Amino acid sequence: MYIYFMNAIEIVNLSKNFGKIGALNRMSLDVPEGTIYGLVGPNGSGKTTLIKALVGSLRPNSGFAKVLGLDPLKDKWELRKQIGYMPQSPALYDDLSARDNILFFGKEQNVPDLHQKTDEILSFAELTNRADDAVRTFSGGMKKRVSLCCALVHNPKIIFLDEPTAALDPYLKMLFWILFRKLAQSGVTIFVSTHQMDEAMLCDKVTILRNGEILAVDTPRNILHRGKTKLKIFDNHEEKTAVIDSTSENLADELKKFGLEKNISSVELQPDTIEDIILSIIRKKEKEEKS
Amino acid sequence: MRHTFIIGRRVLAQLKGDTRFLVLSVIAPLIIIYFLKLLFDTFPPLVEVKSFTIPISAFIVHFLSFILCAILLVQERTRGTLERMMISGFSKTAIIGGYTLGYFGLATVQAITVLAESIWLFNLNYDTKTVVLLFMVIWLLAIVSVMLGIFISTFAKHEAQVFPFIPLIILPSVFLTGLVISPDGLPVWAQIIGKCLPLHYAVNIIHEIIKPEYKLTDTLVDFGILTGYIFGLLVLASLSLRETE
Repeated sequence: MYIYFMNAIEIVNLSKNFGKIGALNRMSLDVPEGTIYGLVGPNGSGKTTLIKALVGSLRPNSGFAKVLGLDPLKDKWELRKQIGYMPQSPALYDDLSARDNILFFGKEQNVPDLHQKTDEILSFAELTNRADDAVRTFSGGMKKRVSLCCALVHNPKIIFLDEPTAALDPYLKMLFWILFRKLAQSGVTIFVSTHQMDEAMLCDKVTILRNGEILAVDTPRNILHRGKTKLKIFDNHEEKTAVIDSTSENLADELKKFGLEKNISSVELQPDTIEDIILSIIRKKEKEEKS
Repeated sequence: MRHTFIIGRRVLAQLKGDTRFLVLSVIAPLIIIYFLKLLFDTFPPLVEVKSFTIPISAFIVHFLSFILCAILLVQERTRGTLERMMISGFSKTAIIGGYTLGYFGLATVQAITVLAESIWLFNLNYDTKTVVLLFMVIWLLAIVSVMLGIFISTFAKHEAQVFPFIPLIILPSVFLTGLVISPDGLPVWAQIIGKCLPLHYAVNIIHEIIKPEYKLTDTLVDFGILTGYIFGLLVLASLSLRETE
């Protein structure tokens, strides 16, 4: 249960076109402070465009956005002190060491005790042993960790993470999400995009995007409730299948129909995963557009 | 200014980290000048090669500084570090200033080594004042080249897009600025184009400096124009470097 006090991000009718292609289409949403807010959608759905518009790297065609109450373009200097940004590509200087990359981005922000903070963050990212090695010698996962360190070094109030866990191994992915949760608990707002649908479950709130449009905004739990559960009953080795709405709440009613007789040897539940549900929402929209 | 120094220090650290790049930037002009010496040695004795030596050396520094700086800045864009720098709070002016400051050191080393090798290989008997002035011209031209590289980089989205600028800027510099052909014999339109290029003024100054009767006052205007290119290109680069898409 999360108690939301105010919005860290407010977006109203935000649109961005690249020529004839609409990357963002009259998008509106609010992001509560101190939450992990997920942008989920397939490639080309507008996740990166939205993040770039929010960090002031992209000028929208219409609509407006406020981040921490500030305009990303007009108040960019004030805003940039308070935000962290981790782009999709590592965006690091390969010829510099991990430490020097972090120090470079930290110096701009006048971080007090920068060297100590850099050591702490390198230790957290389990990079202390390689801190002084050139980034070009690092694996993709290690570069991602350095990139995250650069985004965090100045203790930002809000962090924009563009597909931070893409191409990471499951262990590292888990470490990243543990960190995101810790940061959110300390009041930092995490605005994270991903095309890995299962990660939506780790967010407090999720927006599903497709072709620059919002298809759904909800908590992962509520999104799960939109799914269906397949119920398989084996009655005298004869398989009977029923599809019930939502998750376990409807299970009891459904089972009553079968009476749980002695000859029922096994009951199998196959609930939709969040990935199934998100994909079905996206496919439903595609079908609507085709028809 | 603090941000400019932070970026300048980072560019220097980056150059130091990329030994291959650093060695190539300094060694390549020296090798080219050596081959120039071998080529000039095959010319008949009547050809006055000494008047070409320093202008061609200056051109080599001009070309390499321009192309290397343009490509490195385009790399910043393609790798996303330019955008990240801006989102982190570095201003356009700090980025351009920082880059210039970073290359300031490289340009100085290039100017010194190129001049020293040319004087030694071609047995040029110039007095100290002449050598210092020649160094100043090559060094100023190197800074102009860095600025030109920064300005051109803003029109390229990836490294390959820098290369069409080579024939656009470098070829007219070779043929229209007095480097190998006297501009007096060229058509008026070619002379006008030549006068738009910074190398024209650098070559003019060098030709004057190496004359025995040289007076500093003869080249003050050309020195002024060459310096003016630095500020002009700085303004143009600041205007063309985009913070937002």
